[in-house]
Amino acid sequence: MQFDIQHRPAYALAVVSLEDGETVVAEAGAMVSMDTNVSLETKAAKKKDEGLVKGLFAGLKRMAAGESFFQNNYTAAGPGKVTFAPTHVGDISVHEIGAVGLMLQSKSYLCSGTEVDVDASWGGAKSFFGGEGMIMLKATGSGPIAFNSFGGVKEIDIDGEYVVDTGHIVAFEDTLTFKVGKFGGGWKAFIFGGEGLVCNFSGTGKLWIQTRNPQGFGEAIGPKLPMRQG
Amino acid sequence: MEFEIRNKPDYASLHFVLNTGEAIQTETGAMMGMSPKLKMETNMKGGLMGGLSRMMGGESVFQNTYTGTEDGQRLDLAPSAPGDMEHIHLDDATVMVQSGSYCACSPEIAIDAKWGGAKTFFGGEGLIMLKCHGSGDLFISSYGAIHCEQVNGSYVVDTGHIVAFDDSLTFNVRGVGGGMKGYFLSGEGKVCEFTGTGRVWFQTRAPGSLAEFLHPFRAIQPKND
Repeated sequence: MQFDIQHRPAYALAVVSLEDGETVVAEAGAMVSMDTNVSLETKAAKKKDEGLVKGLFAGLKRMAAGESFFQNNYTAAGPGKVTFAPTHVGDISVHEIGAVGLMLQSKSYLCSGTEVDVDASWGGAKSFFGGEGMIMLKATGSGPIAFNSFGGVKEIDIDGEYVVDTGHIVAFEDTLTFKVGKFGGGWKAFIFGGEGLVCNFSGTGKLWIQTRNPQGFGEAIGPKLPMRQG
Repeated sequence: MEFEIRNKPDYASLHFVLNTGEAIQTETGAMMGMSPKLKMETNMKGGLMGGLSRMMGGESVFQNTYTGTEDGQRLDLAPSAPGDMEHIHLDDATVMVQSGSYCACSPEIAIDAKWGGAKTFFGGEGLIMLKCHGSGDLFISSYGAIHCEQVNGSYVVDTGHIVAFDDSLTFNVRGVGGGMKGYFLSGEGKVCEFTGTGRVWFQTRAPGSLAEFLHPFRAIQPKND
């Protein structure tokens, strides 16, 4: 399986080349185009060694993370290509999962190899708050995973501490620990400063951030659209 | 007529220099800037019925034609979505263009808006295809990048991502596969399967997905009872 990211950085497209019998797992609705020898199978997302009940629970957790209960598996009969794109304008990064797992903001997941397990991860009560969808996805196992950013993506090596606005988090290695809190400057800054909540990272590992915030974009455009029925 | 696609690939715009008597027809609302000695005429494309079918597709009924009344008149056009533009030269050929991706063409190219073959198929997705035929220059735009795939055999593209395709290809709109589960649960809309030999251009982002993302951010209509 090979990932080739084309049309970077603004409107990236992931072109996945599959060998005979190979499968790529992708986010629902992400497929743009494919060869006709690639076929789709929609399955409830569960790990290979999980039973039905555990699988069902994994699916429900994924839903809570704003992901689809189901995953799309694209399998090639003979060499074949399939392309995927995210909703928003922006870039796509490819990362190899190995000994270190990867935490992903749920809307950043695009596609991955079959040996990568993608599970919803409850970040604890501290990280649970409305709107920003801080229930993360946790990718473990081995193989490639592609994730997308809204705007450009910036990789940051953390050794010590770093603070990121929650809406700008794309992914981070699970060697990092994090704490969600309000931005410094007291309640006045929290309410009127427009900075929302931030994530305080500590430890050693990589972090990817996006240069635009989807929530901020939605809030900028939404009020200009015609009202919807309640 | 001179042309240049500028600001590629992220925010492409189209630049023309028209001499006396040279003309270019454009989608309405695409004009960003122009020299004063260009005559602009608005006409209904493809006649009355063509205009009506374009209107049903959410498209403008009208088209603008800019004609130079002096030499060296410049015209700058900008499409509505952030993305790229592509020039396609037609030599007595036909290209089908998704109506939202049409930007401009030389007056020698006829746009047949009456053609309703795809309208029925694409109905659910609100997509109308324009049949552009003749000899001249055609300019298309995309939301995101434009990816050109040379089809030799068969190829599948999500309908929301189609920009244009050569008329030499035959197409069939269908579900993405995977049986009933694939149809209802995959989150994939309809796809278009192209067969034969020819080019298909698709865009790397879909306007429909953006609209879906923005929907929850719309204000809620107060109940008046």
